Amino acid sequence: MRKAFRFRTLLLIVLPILFFLPIYWTFVIAVGYHGAAYHLPPVWVPLFHWTPVLYVLTHTHWLRYVANTVGITAATIVLVLFTSALAGYALAEIPFKGHSVYFLLVIGVMMLPQQALLVPQYVVLFHLHMLNTYSAMVIPFAANSSSIFLFRQFFKKIPVSFPEIARIEGVSTMRYIFRVAMPLAKPAVATSVLLTFIAAWNQFQWPLIMTNSPQIQPIELALSHYMQTYQANWRELASAALLALSPILIVFAFTQKHIVQAVAGGDLNAKD
Amino acid sequence: MAQAPSRSLVQNPAQDISSSRLAPWRARLKTSMLGYGLILPSLLVFLTFFYGPAIFLAYIAFFHWNIFTQASTFVGFENFVTLFHQPVFWQALLNTAYYVIVLVPATALLALGLALLLREGLSHRRGGISRAFIFLPHVTPVVATSIIWVWIFNPQFGLANTVLHFFHIPALNWLESVHWALPSVMIYTLWHSVGLYTVLFLAGLASIPRSVIEAATTDGARGWRMFKRVFWPLLGPITFFVLVLASINTMQTFSQIYTLTGGPHGGAGGPAFSTTTDSLLIYQTAFLYLHFSLASAMSIILFILIMTLTLIQKWVADRFVFYR
Repeated sequence: MRKAFRFRTLLLIVLPILFFLPIYWTFVIAVGYHGAAYHLPPVWVPLFHWTPVLYVLTHTHWLRYVANTVGITAATIVLVLFTSALAGYALAEIPFKGHSVYFLLVIGVMMLPQQALLVPQYVVLFHLHMLNTYSAMVIPFAANSSSIFLFRQFFKKIPVSFPEIARIEGVSTMRYIFRVAMPLAKPAVATSVLLTFIAAWNQFQWPLIMTNSPQIQPIELALSHYMQTYQANWRELASAALLALSPILIVFAFTQKHIVQAVAGGDLNAKD
Repeated sequence: MAQAPSRSLVQNPAQDISSSRLAPWRARLKTSMLGYGLILPSLLVFLTFFYGPAIFLAYIAFFHWNIFTQASTFVGFENFVTLFHQPVFWQALLNTAYYVIVLVPATALLALGLALLLREGLSHRRGGISRAFIFLPHVTPVVATSIIWVWIFNPQFGLANTVLHFFHIPALNWLESVHWALPSVMIYTLWHSVGLYTVLFLAGLASIPRSVIEAATTDGARGWRMFKRVFWPLLGPITFFVLVLASINTMQTFSQIYTLTGGPHGGAGGPAFSTTTDSLLIYQTAFLYLHFSLASAMSIILFILIMTLTLIQKWVADRFVFYR
């Protein structure tokens, strides 16, 4: 019994380390000593030589790609919040005709296999003259089923008297949604922001297909091109990967509890 | 009932009196208009970029079709016939099947094991941190983390062979070998996605009432017996959900295959088409060789495969899974 308990504790410590190892290894190769990547047996100590990282920042268009990704991510987040709040409010509060049809459409989007749609999506973007533009990377992701459902769920919890009072006071619907309902649905806002941030920051296949000019490509795509350019230069490559990783790592470090619970769709601690 | 929450703007009493018979109808119309206005932005996005293309897909697949000349002729099933005569298409289907059949059960089993392990540990603070580290890979960008895995799989200097060497197992060529390239991608995907399914299983475990577990413990159930009689039946729905989600996700794997097998080695999908899966072949056919119609035919097959899989799993779950 005691032995089993110790074994379990050991696993609880060793397994997370194993899962984190590849990320730590990126760090070691990037800022470790010069031949770290080629050293056998492996050397695990980072020496904090930031030269390769600085090289990537100054000798490539890295900052441009970061700016692209930040812009795309920010725009997507703002638009997702806007469309989801409106649609969530409509689904929660307004018994418009075709309510259930719209509900099914929102669910249906989640079921469509993304890989099977890329060809016609490319054609649609071609006809809308959106190929190779920033909007191609933002507008198609400006609405999001899970965010809509999240907002709907939170708006439903708001007491009926709130919209009633707002109506009597002559507050417009828009004003009510953004000034009253949204501040009351802060967890929904936080979850939408985090999940959209991760999805937008990590985008790769979509920009790979929908863009071809280097000026507008996001970091993930730039990294993929670096792999061809710097194929033997593992320090620079690992530094670039580290730079792409770090915003995600930082955000995750501060919000991991929230992110994990958002993905799990509920509380993870045992209930009575 | 209909008009209550919706008549939001300033009312005009005179109008209401003059058309009192029309008032409810008018109010309902107003309600509906407001609703349509609110759903319009998201609806436009869904219709333009998802439902429109889904319908358009069928059109392209049955035509000889060229994006640049816009010339199209109806050819019926010819694209499908051409496709069935391509050995690489069957190779891709086979690779996808191999990938899914090995990876989905492996992921689900590992996730279940990790979830059971973490459940015990979650009473400590440490448990939350362990969970975070196991989940972390799932949120990392695929290309950025694939870079390091390419190096880990390096036959000469990689960590993978260092580990094998430690256990006195002969070194492998990993991504450069026809037999081990796809399994290498599986290992990466397992690392990247198992945290997601672990967390889903954890949510499933958390929904089991504590009283049930306590009752079983009082009756002397523990270890394997506890798992078999209590956890496993009660986890039925979530296991089903995990299997469906994992199958759908693995059937559509693209980024890691593209990055791990392409990148420095040139064209992705190699060596010798051993990692060419459905989604990779669709990408190459459409966007490298510009055969949009062929790629659409392939997309339709993928579409049908995913839908069938979902339906089969639903059928199985309806028959054999115990829903509370």
